Amino acid sequence: MMTRLRDYVGAASLAAALASLAQPALAAGRTAEQVLGETCAACHMKEGDGQFSRISHQRKTPEGWLMSIARMQVMHGVQIDDADRRTLVKYLADRQGLAPSETEGVRYAMERRLNTVEQFDEQTTQMCARCHSGARVALQRRPVKEWEHLVNFHLGQWPSLEFQAQSRDRDWLPTALNEVVPKLASQYPLDNPAWSDWQKARPTAAALPGQWSFSGHLPAKGDLRGVMTVSAGEGDSFKVSVDGQYADGTPLKGSGSAILYNGYEWRGNLKIGEVAMRQVFSALNGEMRGRMFETEHDERGLDFVAAKAGTPRLLAVQPAYLKAGSEAELTLVGSDLSGQPDFGPGVEVVKVLEQSPERVRVKVRASADAAAGSRAVALGELKGANLAVYGSVSEVKVVPAFSIARIGDNGGSTPKVQGRFDAEAWGQDAAGKAFRIGYLPAQWSVAAFNEQAVEDEDVKYAGTMQADGVFVPGDAGPNPARKMSTNNAGNLKVIAELKDGDQPLKGEGQLIVTVQRWNNPPLP
Amino acid sequence: MKHLKPLNQKAQLLDQAAAEDRVEEVIAMSAVAGCTATTDPGWEVDAFGGVASLCQPMESDLYGCSDPCWWPAQVPDMMSTYPDWNKDAQASAEDWRNLGTVFPKDQ
Repeated sequence: MMTRLRDYVGAASLAAALASLAQPALAAGRTAEQVLGETCAACHMKEGDGQFSRISHQRKTPEGWLMSIARMQVMHGVQIDDADRRTLVKYLADRQGLAPSETEGVRYAMERRLNTVEQFDEQTTQMCARCHSGARVALQRRPVKEWEHLVNFHLGQWPSLEFQAQSRDRDWLPTALNEVVPKLASQYPLDNPAWSDWQKARPTAAALPGQWSFSGHLPAKGDLRGVMTVSAGEGDSFKVSVDGQYADGTPLKGSGSAILYNGYEWRGNLKIGEVAMRQVFSALNGEMRGRMFETEHDERGLDFVAAKAGTPRLLAVQPAYLKAGSEAELTLVGSDLSGQPDFGPGVEVVKVLEQSPERVRVKVRASADAAAGSRAVALGELKGANLAVYGSVSEVKVVPAFSIARIGDNGGSTPKVQGRFDAEAWGQDAAGKAFRIGYLPAQWSVAAFNEQAVEDEDVKYAGTMQADGVFVPGDAGPNPARKMSTNNAGNLKVIAELKDGDQPLKGEGQLIVTVQRWNNPPLP
Repeated sequence: MKHLKPLNQKAQLLDQAAAEDRVEEVIAMSAVAGCTATTDPGWEVDAFGGVASLCQPMESDLYGCSDPCWWPAQVPDMMSTYPDWNKDAQASAEDWRNLGTVFPKDQ
């Protein structure tokens, strides 16, 4: 056991493990039934009808199943090679997955949006999300008995959990078993009409090959658009290539492979130049939606939406704002685009600069008295994108408002986790109601969050804010230059300043620069 | 709490934070997905929503916390799951670079 554990400890990288979810299972390995019957059955009892104790009474995402199998390897020394593990994850995620509606509101965990401030009820927050994300729980489905096993396993594996704050103040185990378990079994039940309905209506992978027009946004970089080409491989696997361009002209070009789980969970693994990127999308009704992020730096990621050629769809207008009394170039992004663009009263199309099925680029002029507010954009009969017309910016918000960066590198095993920021401008319409304008260029800086941070010189040590809104944290390890050789952690204000005419505006957020984590599974 | 008296500076700060109703702010910061809200002591964030009251540099007493599984979702616990995590880093302050990440990799 000790020797085996050593194999997993060390330079093991999250990157490579995550990449496995995007690789097709190789036909040469064993079938999932063989792996279950020969490997898993060493501990899990056969229950007849192809069922096994524990395994057959849970449903999870592909990431959830990968984590369960990885746990069997680490904690119980299961010997399983990568090909067999991929086969098993695919088999279980397909047969015991989650319906799309069951993942609503918690996809951020799969998409690695790690600055999401979670909103769970107080008890779930304190009993479960105190250590890991609440989403890790909400992305599982179990009956009472299986939630009970999970509670008992937690206490057995990590017995000190009863002594920590928000635990020692209560009778933890009875609370967990008698209150939390019934609640979870009712909120996240194994048997659910949504799941049985989804199994009946689940589309096949055959609908996905083709051309996909996409729109995206990378925080601290800007909007992106392009075309993703998908061709069918073996089973539910695909070859994928992307050819896109950021608003500033930088290309995004590369290729790789993807796999579809459970009829809609798309996991891609691409090389964009030298950079490995992952795609975690939900592929539903001719649209793919989710996040595409760097495998080694998942904080660098694109919000991504794509529509498949063959169905007319308007996805976005880039940029999605226009100042009253100004001229600007706007691009409509979508699939099978045709017809005349209409931006509503007060916004005139001066010239159509480019028109293709994937994009329509136009020069527009907004009159000085164009009504401020968010309005629907039309292209022929198509709708689906909004344009914010504004006279002035009334407020600037830093996005994300709360965030975490982590020190790293300096010879250690964990990379630095950067902060990436956008300045979100808001305006007011004629009725005084606030509306979102969009992300505007800003000047970026950091400052000490409070007196303690001033005293500890956090600004000097915690890292550097770049001109583009990217915060690069300091090096890992004790820093002899700091009081008590403390780490390069810090509590900072993130400040975005922009000028709207002569009016200076300022927004603030909070950034905690903190220490690294070594336990970094696919679901936080 | 009314029968307890803060004895040291940190306890006084805690008392003050509770009195000023700053608890909500702290919760917002520690409810960021994947950060632990266990703040006695905290790993990412301290009980005040900052970093000044963390046990840092964390390398100086890391195994005192990883041994009893204090933040097992962030730091490999050495009591039950990863007993050999520090085999190449017996002195954490000097050898911290030898501590690896623990999720099994795909070969």
